[in-house]
Amino acid sequence: MSRIKILRYLTLAALGIILTRLFFIQIIEHDAWVAKANEQHTLLETITAKRGEIYMLDGNDPVAVVLNQTVYQVIIDPAITPQDELQTLLDETVEKHANLDEVYNIEGLRYYIVARNVPYSSAVKIAEKGLGGVWLKESNARVYPEGEMASTVLGFVNADGIGQYGVEGSLNHLLSGKDGLLKTISDVNNVALSIGDNNIKIPAEDGKNVVLTIDRTLEKNVEEMTEQALASSVATNAAVLIMDPNNGEVLAMTTIPGYNPADYGNVKDASSYINQVTEVPYEPASICKTFTYSAAINEGKMTADTTYFNQGYVMVDGWKIQNAEQRASIYGTIDMRTALYWSLNSGSIQALKLLGDDPDSINQKGRELLYDYYYNKFRLGRPTDIELIEAVGYIEDPNEGWGRNSTYANMTFGQNLGITMIQTATAFSAVVNGGIWRTPTIVAGTLENGRLTPLESNAIEEQILKADTSAAMRSMLVNNRSYKVRAGIDKPGYDVGGKSGTAQVIRDGVYDDTYAELVGSYIGFVAPSGEMPSYVIMIKMWGEGQSVGSGEPMALFDTLSNYIINYLKIRPGGV
Amino acid sequence: MRKHKSDLIVLFTTLGLMALGLIVIYAIGPMRANVLNSTYGTNYGSHDFFIGQLRSVAISLVAFFLAFKVIPYQTLRKFAKPIMILGILLSALLWVLAMSGSSLAKCELGECRWYNLGPVSFQPAEFLKLSLTIYLADFLARKKEEGTIGKLKEFWLPLGLICGISLGLVVIAQGDLGTGVTLVAIIFGMLLVSGVSIKQYLLVFALVVIVAVGAVATSAHRMQRVDAWIATLTGSASSDSTYHIDNAMLAIGTGGFTGVGIGNSVQATGYLPESINDSVFAIMGETFGFVGLFLIVGVFATMLLRLLNVASHTAAPDERLLVVGVFSWVLAGVSVNIMAMTGLVPVTGITLPLLSYGGTSMLFVAFALGLSLQISCYTSREEVKNEDISSRGRIRGAHYASRRRSA
Repeated sequence: MSRIKILRYLTLAALGIILTRLFFIQIIEHDAWVAKANEQHTLLETITAKRGEIYMLDGNDPVAVVLNQTVYQVIIDPAITPQDELQTLLDETVEKHANLDEVYNIEGLRYYIVARNVPYSSAVKIAEKGLGGVWLKESNARVYPEGEMASTVLGFVNADGIGQYGVEGSLNHLLSGKDGLLKTISDVNNVALSIGDNNIKIPAEDGKNVVLTIDRTLEKNVEEMTEQALASSVATNAAVLIMDPNNGEVLAMTTIPGYNPADYGNVKDASSYINQVTEVPYEPASICKTFTYSAAINEGKMTADTTYFNQGYVMVDGWKIQNAEQRASIYGTIDMRTALYWSLNSGSIQALKLLGDDPDSINQKGRELLYDYYYNKFRLGRPTDIELIEAVGYIEDPNEGWGRNSTYANMTFGQNLGITMIQTATAFSAVVNGGIWRTPTIVAGTLENGRLTPLESNAIEEQILKADTSAAMRSMLVNNRSYKVRAGIDKPGYDVGGKSGTAQVIRDGVYDDTYAELVGSYIGFVAPSGEMPSYVIMIKMWGEGQSVGSGEPMALFDTLSNYIINYLKIRPGGV
Repeated sequence: MRKHKSDLIVLFTTLGLMALGLIVIYAIGPMRANVLNSTYGTNYGSHDFFIGQLRSVAISLVAFFLAFKVIPYQTLRKFAKPIMILGILLSALLWVLAMSGSSLAKCELGECRWYNLGPVSFQPAEFLKLSLTIYLADFLARKKEEGTIGKLKEFWLPLGLICGISLGLVVIAQGDLGTGVTLVAIIFGMLLVSGVSIKQYLLVFALVVIVAVGAVATSAHRMQRVDAWIATLTGSASSDSTYHIDNAMLAIGTGGFTGVGIGNSVQATGYLPESINDSVFAIMGETFGFVGLFLIVGVFATMLLRLLNVASHTAAPDERLLVVGVFSWVLAGVSVNIMAMTGLVPVTGITLPLLSYGGTSMLFVAFALGLSLQISCYTSREEVKNEDISSRGRIRGAHYASRRRSA
């Protein structure tokens, strides 16, 4: 055989093997390769919906208090990106970045996020440098231009883009919108290609912009005044709620100290996230006498002028329940108005007795009526359905369990129950606004193209007290502050009423009778004389191991009520 | 022998393959530019690679026609030795430059294979293929004439020296196993038709195989490629080292019967490494499918068989040897490249002649094919019978009938 023939056969053999192999790969294995290719080439990406912004009101104009900002993640490929140049670049452009020595020491590492939340200006510089193996990935960051203001009301957005706490948490469904979907063939860097006909794009539905009923300026100033009050107090914490009792709208709500939602990760104690107004049930103490009195008056069982014999304490089921105020001038027969003025526990227990038609002892009828008012009418120990995360709290059953009479005696002055500030203030609003319980609200509506649309709501508006009862209660609450008028604190032309509360703290299941730690509360309203109240303020102050009486919250109320009269330009009445 | 028309089939397959290479680079060049820009922050325009290929084709065509029409092979043969020395010197100089860290030596991934000449680069190993082919044609024909073929001192020693230096420079100094494989193919292809005895031929071949296996086994980097190849063959889990083969086969496999069409290659968008150079065949497989690859392989087969036909009809041993050298060169490029892309042999980094992006490779293949075409003008009508014993070297007698048809 000629040697060139050998080469000829060699050529035919080689190319024959190649063609057989190609047939095998391209025809026989084709489907398997296509499946594998789809797996490798298909980019399934969620199109992130733009999160809605949060606004407060400035007068009637919405102003943004939570905004979105496009920020960038810097991703590198250690196999390509030169470390020295990257180090210099990052040092020059970003505030915080990963330790590159550590990153480059990880074996086999291909992609790593070396910096997050890089603002646009820095991202541009990084892009301009054009280092190999460096990618910039767009992401969204929440910006809170007001810093810590109303932080527990606003909440924050976590690294997964989910709202946590506050409005961000409770209205996450509204704010987050609906993510879209992109299914497409992509190149090796996950850039979508227009190749292929199986590409799917479902656009994202952006989240709604939410406008709160909170007045930004009011909120800011209330927080400042509260901080000033704390500065000169043994109390370390305070919570303040200001609402309009005529429509249930929250005008200001704060928990001090707050935190910076943009830097939520650096908060030492997770309890800082908690909105004390809605998320924490507590014992507002004597403030609840208002509700007991309202029940008895509304049932026609007593008036402000009804009298009873005050001996400084009441025996219930063998327990001696003391009055805090023991001055000699108020022993003996006094009227209910005086009992409320001095905040006598014997007075509110008397109201409970009268509810049961027996001025000498507490009975089942009285307990059941009080329960009906507390739980069913005032909706205490139940969610108010405000658009925030709420704790439920509890009201004891009037018949189940041991020691019902003493429990209910305590409940008349706000102990042995757990209710939130928002529940308390909403019930108090009903007491002073003519007797209507209204679902409180913090959302004015959603904002789109400058138009405010109210949310669909199942708000309840229910007449739970007679208007006369409400008027009688207002008069007694104003009487409580008669000395403030004499002192010139409450201005003429306005009816300012209020009630204080000082709660003992439960330690190991029993009330701490040493009074080493007390939680002070105050609630009140302001109305142009002879008219319906314009707003209700509730304040709670406390401190770990600190005995905070009701004097400090009351002083803060004085400051705030006078400030708000000016700020909201509430004209005096009855002139 | 009277000059007649050249082998039109070799001419048109050469031009056809160059044109096909241009089309494919036109389609995938923008993707390549995009991948490089986004990965390495380079600044390629979308047509930079097409323009580059166009330039390569233009230069290659000039070389092709110079070799075909202008430079007589017999004149060139006179300079066989200086050409060989130049080929070795160019590679040796590159090695020295690389060792001294000169910027004239262009290195990629630790291997210095190119001269950096400003806007263009030049790969001396490609020139070495040509010079070795020209030199061996001269050397083997001369030894045949002298009757010293197969003699240790006159034949094997000088041959071993020249081939050893060439292979050493390419494989060891430049780390270019692909070119090494081509050189070995050229050497053994030409040896086969040089008249050396089959016994000696097989002995030397076995020796080279042993050395080659040893060279691979002692190099971690080469063993890694072999391991990757075995992993691909056995279908074991893919890893970083099997990535290249996996994606080449993925491209070919997705092409199916008719392919995804020009411009629709997804693998070219960055998944397949070297998509415009060594892996261009895989992209063609994805784009044109089995039908397309069948045709491309068919074109190469036609070209190769025609080259053998030219060789077998060429009486002059030096010319015949030269054509067989060019044949071996192209066959090695085509079969080793495609077999690597289909997982039949380990990846060695060898370009696909005339189709891969890259100027130097195309330039010298084109020149070599041009020379073959020139020689095809002097073939006889009948096959040369005892091709191994020829003494009619440079006599072009009238008894060799022209291929020209008597019209």
